[in-house]
Amino acid sequence: MRNFLPRALLATLAALIASATPLPELFNERLKSVVAVEFFIQAETERQPVAVLGTVIDEAGTIILPGEAIPPNVAPEQLKDFKVYRPGSTEPSLAAYLGQDALTGWHFVQVEAKLRPMLVPITNYAAVKTDPVLSEELWGIGLRNKDEDFLPYFLSARVAATMKLPQKTAILGSDVAGPGLPVFNSAGQLAGLAQTSFGQNYLIFSRNQRGNPILLVNVEESSVVLLADEVLPNLGRIPQSVSGRPIPWFGAYGLQPMDPEVAKLLKLENQSGVVLSDIIKDSPADQAGLKERDIVLAIDGQHLPRLKPDRVVVGYFGQEVLRHRPGETITLSVLRGGAREEIKVRLGDEPKLAREADRHYSDRLGFTIREFLYADGIMHRAEPSRQQGVMVHFVKPGGPVATAGLRPDDWVREIDGVEIKSYAQALEKLHAIEADSIRQEFVLLVSRGGETSVLRVKLN
Amino acid sequence: MSRGFNRLLEAVVRIDVREIEFAEGTKRITGGVGSGVIISGDGLVLTNAHVVSPQAVEISITLASLERVGAKLVGWDHWTDLALLRIDLDAVKQRGLSFASADFGNSDELFAGQTVYAVGTPHGLTRTVTRGIISNPNRYFEDSRGVNGYETGSFNTWLQTDAAINPGNSGGPLVTEDGKVVGINSRAYIGADNLGFAIPATVARKVAAALASNGAISRSYIGVRPGVLQDLERFYALASNTGMLINSVDPGSPAAKAGLRAGDVLLNLNGRNVDGRFPEQLPPIQQSIASLPIGAKVILGVKRSTSTVELTVQTEKLESQVGEEWAFQKWGLSVRKVSRAYARENQLTDQNGVIVLGVQPGYPAGEAGLARGDIITKIGSEPIGALAQLKSIYAAYEARPEPQLVEARRNRRISLYVIKP
Repeated sequence: MRNFLPRALLATLAALIASATPLPELFNERLKSVVAVEFFIQAETERQPVAVLGTVIDEAGTIILPGEAIPPNVAPEQLKDFKVYRPGSTEPSLAAYLGQDALTGWHFVQVEAKLRPMLVPITNYAAVKTDPVLSEELWGIGLRNKDEDFLPYFLSARVAATMKLPQKTAILGSDVAGPGLPVFNSAGQLAGLAQTSFGQNYLIFSRNQRGNPILLVNVEESSVVLLADEVLPNLGRIPQSVSGRPIPWFGAYGLQPMDPEVAKLLKLENQSGVVLSDIIKDSPADQAGLKERDIVLAIDGQHLPRLKPDRVVVGYFGQEVLRHRPGETITLSVLRGGAREEIKVRLGDEPKLAREADRHYSDRLGFTIREFLYADGIMHRAEPSRQQGVMVHFVKPGGPVATAGLRPDDWVREIDGVEIKSYAQALEKLHAIEADSIRQEFVLLVSRGGETSVLRVKLN
Repeated sequence: MSRGFNRLLEAVVRIDVREIEFAEGTKRITGGVGSGVIISGDGLVLTNAHVVSPQAVEISITLASLERVGAKLVGWDHWTDLALLRIDLDAVKQRGLSFASADFGNSDELFAGQTVYAVGTPHGLTRTVTRGIISNPNRYFEDSRGVNGYETGSFNTWLQTDAAINPGNSGGPLVTEDGKVVGINSRAYIGADNLGFAIPATVARKVAAALASNGAISRSYIGVRPGVLQDLERFYALASNTGMLINSVDPGSPAAKAGLRAGDVLLNLNGRNVDGRFPEQLPPIQQSIASLPIGAKVILGVKRSTSTVELTVQTEKLESQVGEEWAFQKWGLSVRKVSRAYARENQLTDQNGVIVLGVQPGYPAGEAGLARGDIITKIGSEPIGALAQLKSIYAAYEARPEPQLVEARRNRRISLYVIKP
């Protein structure tokens, strides 16, 4: 009986065992797909160093960074000195910033040619064929800080839950990889990409305080993984320009999920919806005839899914819009005052974003002005399509305008008693003031929170 | 001390108040202690608006004899932080009690350095006298939330004194050595040393008289917020001591409708020149606007850049941004009506709706997801224009509880909620 297994089968089993690469070996191989990326955000008077983790996605040395790596208002010109480090190395390679993709939020960076042969894109590994199941063990890579040579280390954890947020996302029982780095299964197949970690609630006890709740977010490791299905189809979304354009524009503001209790009351049991709070005048949504309080139930014939938490459906709707290009048409099924309507919206081009706005910093006056954008018009309940005034982007502490009481995000309406109608006009006025060395003072009329005030700026 | 001072002491009272507070989704009774001064033989007591408000349910006065009697609110004016009460004279008569009344002095004649006394109930210590001097007879101090969330200080300047003023002194008199009331103690910088403020008797006297006859003071409003011109005269090319800078114009206000803009300089009002170079000069100018008849047409002479224009503005009744409050206890919801001033300040499209002051955890409104700061604009398909509407919807709900579809705004987001029994 002991020799019951035929010799041939035994041989096959032996071959299978031999082909399962040990984890340390897989770990060392997969290290070639991960890098640390350093850069500076150059502000008016200071530079802020940033260090994040990135994943190599192609043979051309393209690297993706998490969307959170760069704050949304930072202009691409402010991003300086991109450097890429391999794990365990302090030898920097230069890299260029390619831009941000609006749908995934990823930032793309391309490393110089000489490092590329040493990197392996994650697309070179097979991806998992089915989503990881509950309790399956996944593993990933973490990188220490620069002072430890970006030393790589091994992390592993089991799948605790899989959710749609709205993308398919696995939540693991503990941290599985550095945010922005790939995650694999035991066979070394790509399972997904670690996201920025979720916050965890803790209570903090001290001598004077008993159990104050605090939220802790681990910035070095993450237990949240975007599944490979959601990652791989989007790796080709390398921005055509640093602006990340084209970006489609819908033109509604303050989208809110339809509460399940509300759905029940409206006899929409088991349906999901998005309430449009505010339709921006002259936007594609406005031109299509959408109205405040319309409830969107379906997009292009597809019912909006019921996702948890309720607000995820708003993200889903936003993503469905972003999958399109400007000029394309989407069809919305809308509930308006009890009746259903089908409304076609031809998407427009996203109005200029803060990161694309023209800016000017004056060291003598001590502030940066930025052109008035569509979004500023919405914020200030002004006519968004009309240029009026300029925005204050930065105020140098202790500078002349700071002393006069100007603050960032103030809206400059007049300079020296003259109404500002364009950015160019504001620039001209400020240049004249800067150039006038005997000038003692100038006057700004600014709006802040619906109230205006006159500020007198003393020059020295 | 002088005979006058001794007589004054007989006129100072302690005030204990129990009042309704609408917060955190419910109606609560809170208690407080303040001071007051009897100003007439028929039992009128002057105190602060922040000591006794219209939400008071029980007012009790402790006389100099330490006997307690009840009182009723006669009139209330948060703009000057003054309230007028009437002692329950029947009770006084029945129980054979007696009290003295104080005389006003002339607060316009006060000078910095003059000795004054504050009499009141600091921290509940009945009948406390503190001594100090007038530190400044003409202090500018405006606070848009100064009297329990209500605006104050736009129409008067204050007496500043270093006589110790602590919580509980509020509403008590500031007096001279001869016992004349020159001010009503109202506020102090907490944490600072002896920086106290009192409403001048000149203002208090007029307000008390108006409250005694009408119960309230009506003022006119045009919707301008002044700024000081100091140091800007040259920029605006103004002759010395003329003009008041318009710092801000309330959106939708009469001034805005007339075309007045921020940055304009008001030169004259109905032909009378205006001089608002310094902050101390602003309250009298504001007062002169406030004292115009409601609905009257006013001619404003305005300097804009290099030209001078005349604008005609029709005054409106001045309103507080704080609207009427109420609690719907079964919903665990307390609200405040959106007032015209609130709607303007927050750039709302209209003054429909009620602001959620608070929700009680675990009650229907809180469970539905409503939160402090939401503005409830609709219930079912009925827009909420007045608080009475909401009250009647609530009454119907109490009689027959059924789910209510609630529409609420926060910033510019519209959300729908369901209040379920």
